[in-house]
Amino acid sequence: MSATNGNAAPVILILEDEAMILLEMSFAIEDHGAEAIQAPSVRSALEAIEKARPDAAILDVNLGRNTTCEAVATRLGELNVPFVLHSGDLVRQGELIARIGAEVIPKPSSSDHVASRAIALARETRET
Amino acid sequence: MTDEPHETTPPTGSQASMVFDDSPNRFRASNVEQKFDGASGVLFEQAMAQTRMAIVLADPAQEDMPIVFVNRAFTELTGYSEDEVVGKNCRFLQGEKSDPAVVARIRQALESEDVVVVELLNYRRDGTPFWNALHLGPIYSTEGKLLYYFGSQWDVSDVRAARAEEQHAKMMARELSHRMKNMFAVIGGLITVTGRTKNIREEAAEINDRIRALGRAFETTLDEASRGSVELEPAVKAVLTPYDPDGNRIRFEGESLRVDPNVISTVGLAMHELATNAIKHGALREQTGEITLKWVAQADDGLEFVWRESGGPTIEKPECGVGSGLGIIDNLLKTVGGSLEHDWQPGGFVARISFPHHGRAS
Ligand SMILES: Cc1cc2nc3c(=O)[nH]c(=O)nc-3n(C[C@H](O)[C@H](O)[C@H](O)COP(=O)(O)O)c2cc1C
Repeated sequence: MSATNGNAAPVILILEDEAMILLEMSFAIEDHGAEAIQAPSVRSALEAIEKARPDAAILDVNLGRNTTCEAVATRLGELNVPFVLHSGDLVRQGELIARIGAEVIPKPSSSDHVASRAIALARETRET
Repeated sequence: MTDEPHETTPPTGSQASMVFDDSPNRFRASNVEQKFDGASGVLFEQAMAQTRMAIVLADPAQEDMPIVFVNRAFTELTGYSEDEVVGKNCRFLQGEKSDPAVVARIRQALESEDVVVVELLNYRRDGTPFWNALHLGPIYSTEGKLLYYFGSQWDVSDVRAARAEEQHAKMMARELSHRMKNMFAVIGGLITVTGRTKNIREEAAEINDRIRALGRAFETTLDEASRGSVELEPAVKAVLTPYDPDGNRIRFEGESLRVDPNVISTVGLAMHELATNAIKHGALREQTGEITLKWVAQADDGLEFVWRESGGPTIEKPECGVGSGLGIIDNLLKTVGGSLEHDWQPGGFVARISFPHHGRAS
């Protein structure tokens, strides 16, 4: 049900509050020929999703000050958008991560690896 | 003997200090019709007087269950004298910060004649708070009639403080671990982005791989960093797992060994270079090869690793630029008097790393 057709570059939403990681991840997405939508906060991520449904997403779990990506994960779930969780906090966020139930990539990982996982998910979902 | 209870208290020798707690005697004197007589009466008296555990008896037959007996440990713990408390309900020990939910649990237990153990904030006569581990239960007569409730109090303030401190230390370790991982991720981002703008992506990626290996090695050490030394094996495994995701290519044969945290960075980097080398030229290049990593503590605080590859593609010593990474490690080790020797044997690549000190002795 994606707005883009099967051949267009997949659109990947990146939710990440650390600017340098957001930038690196965007470059990695673009290096794979995909389009990156940058969201530094839960609010901007939710706005971006309503504007245009992405094909897949990369969500940082812990967004500081007791904020997590859960609201965004829930919305993406409703829209059947696949996503990976990118987290450096597997111990403390274990419960939340289990609840969300998506693929987890521990931080720090190579941005190339994270990007290719997200793009693979976008392609898999398109084909089915 | 039961007619003259006062004579049963031994007034001599080392037990002299106990004699002054004559509250059991007075309790018996005022409860003559009840069951504390004969041999058990003597035991009761001795036990009450000598125990360091505070003990209270309350009478459920009277209005608001007043205290009818306290031993000396109780008056020492709370600062109240016997006269001040006998006849009152024990709740006078509670105060502003006593948890009402816990008090309600006590009330319910008493109503249903259950035994209950709780921890509750109580206050001494002088107003100082203490954590009371309170154990309450019914006492029945041989006919099964409810005679008393007993309560024993134990000051667990120290235990709770230690528990809280441990909890706090754990929380700090987790916060630190999270920040450290984030820091490593930011540094990684910085290097990648710089590599991109300067058009040296490959070099940047190589540096990043090394930094990530370092991050993985250190992550395992944070929880126990306060102990001053760290366990070697988890750090080694953390570095190497990404190169062996199914866990069937690399075998670890080493004893449990605690090392100085400073050793971890060098070991971590060395393991990373050996794995990278194996992916490019050795046992991890194809699906068949295996690696055995052994470590053994040496005399005089030394530490030796042997990395042995087998079953991989037949390797020839690569001509040029080989193991520049290994060269870095050798130089690194030489600065502290260690070494990395490697050998392209026909059966597989072998490397031997020696550390002069791993800090266990210090
Ligand atoms: C034998 C006995 C000993 C007790 N010892 C204590 C005590 O050391 N500290 C305390 O806070 N409450 C103690 N209590 C509980 C209070 O006396 C009271 O039962 C409790 O506060 C619940 O009742 P309430 O809700 O009417 O106050 C004891 C109760 C009994 C029967």
